[in-house]
Amino acid sequence: MCFGPYSMPFTVPIEIADSAQPRLAKGVRVQTDSATGKSVLLFPEGIVELNETAHEILSRCDGRTLSEIVRELAREYDSDLAALAADVRETLADLQQRKLIELT
Amino acid sequence: MSAPRPYALLAEITYRCPLHCPYCSNPVAASLREAPRRRPQGAGYSKAIDLSGRELTTDEWKRVIGEAAALGILQIGFSGGEPLARRDLAELVRAAREANLYTNLITSGIGLDDDRVGALHDAGLDSVQLSFQSDETGLADEIAGARAHQRKLNVAAKIRAEGIPLSLNFVIHRRNIDRLPQMIELAETLGAERVELANVQFYGWAFLNRAALLPTREQVVRAREIATAAKARLAGRIDIFYVLPDYYETWPKPCLNGWGQRYLTVNPIGDVLPCPTASSAIPDLSFENVRGRALDWIWRQSESFNRFRGTEWMPEPCRSCPQREIDFGGCRCQAALLTGNAATTDPVCTLSPNRSVVDEVLRVLNSSSDHAPDWTYRNNPIGIQ
Repeated sequence: MCFGPYSMPFTVPIEIADSAQPRLAKGVRVQTDSATGKSVLLFPEGIVELNETAHEILSRCDGRTLSEIVRELAREYDSDLAALAADVRETLADLQQRKLIELT
Repeated sequence: MSAPRPYALLAEITYRCPLHCPYCSNPVAASLREAPRRRPQGAGYSKAIDLSGRELTTDEWKRVIGEAAALGILQIGFSGGEPLARRDLAELVRAAREANLYTNLITSGIGLDDDRVGALHDAGLDSVQLSFQSDETGLADEIAGARAHQRKLNVAAKIRAEGIPLSLNFVIHRRNIDRLPQMIELAETLGAERVELANVQFYGWAFLNRAALLPTREQVVRAREIATAAKARLAGRIDIFYVLPDYYETWPKPCLNGWGQRYLTVNPIGDVLPCPTASSAIPDLSFENVRGRALDWIWRQSESFNRFRGTEWMPEPCRSCPQREIDFGGCRCQAALLTGNAATTDPVCTLSPNRSVVDEVLRVLNSSSDHAPDWTYRNNPIGIQ
């Protein structure tokens, strides 16, 4: 048996509306990895270690809209709104492709 | 050599199973004389020997789970055999959740009635991976060697109703690979979040039955196209994982992401294995048992976990290969099964001096117009080798 089946790389660009509300998908948990102190996403057959950006985004995926999340992060990190929006969109699109978040 | 921290534990809590799939990766421990070559007829077929006297107890498993969490493990897969054959499954799931582990159940679904689905959900089960043998009853039951398919459909509905995330696992081989589109359709119908279409890998019973199970080159090419198209079509709805049949590959799979790097398996009697098939595929390696040693010691110190850890063990052509930290020399079990030497390059690799072993298997299969031979059904074990 071989673990961690490598799947075929494939990405399809998706549009995420400003009003979209990202939430963790069913079966996905965020918790702190006691070995490293970092945040991890746990899901069937997979673990993703979150970098700070992803952690900051995901900790706000609780019903807030995309534009709210972007505005908050821009305020907190004093960064350019347009560039930040692109980053957040990219991160969320990636997570959505992997079914780790849902958009409502 | 210093040991990294592991991420996932495969808890094979029993080898008992109500199905008889000829591709099972469990050890071929039962006497082959008793294995029927055709679909078993009627009652009395299965010579199941209850291993429960040798299986780890509930308390022993709870201790293992606690030790695993302390070692840094984040995920546990309850597998087998059929894990539902143990009545204490929900109790073990609860213990794993209390240890903050992500809990997966890897099951045939047989034995998962309403009460047990509820009990497992209450215990905190995070996800179910339900196996299917095909999309339609006749073929599926023939492969399983049991009337299972209709029951699995009912079980899938129960899991959905309970709201537990569902993955469908299909093992793909010569007899069912042409039904890939219908299998994907079934996953859509059942509302699965995730589908694994895994070409059979040849260990245990599957190695014994290789001639019956290995698909033809033509089948493999077609299946890859179908899986690629489905993956694109269903992106964002169903996550599709297609596991390639590695005999047809040029480079070996990065098995386990390296020996003793991320994963460990504890088998029903408590032997701790770097991979589930190591105990049967690599007979000259001996394994420690949780009854005699702490998991932490076994992971870090044992001979079995250190034998192929890192790159020091590697012979040429792996030793100087730029891919050595990418595929880790492939699979130790496959090297052992195909060459008799676990410490050699996986013969799937095009650079392996033993690639001809794989090529010869493919040549014989693809140059013959004969039908696939009959397979030997998996028996329940009468002992564990």
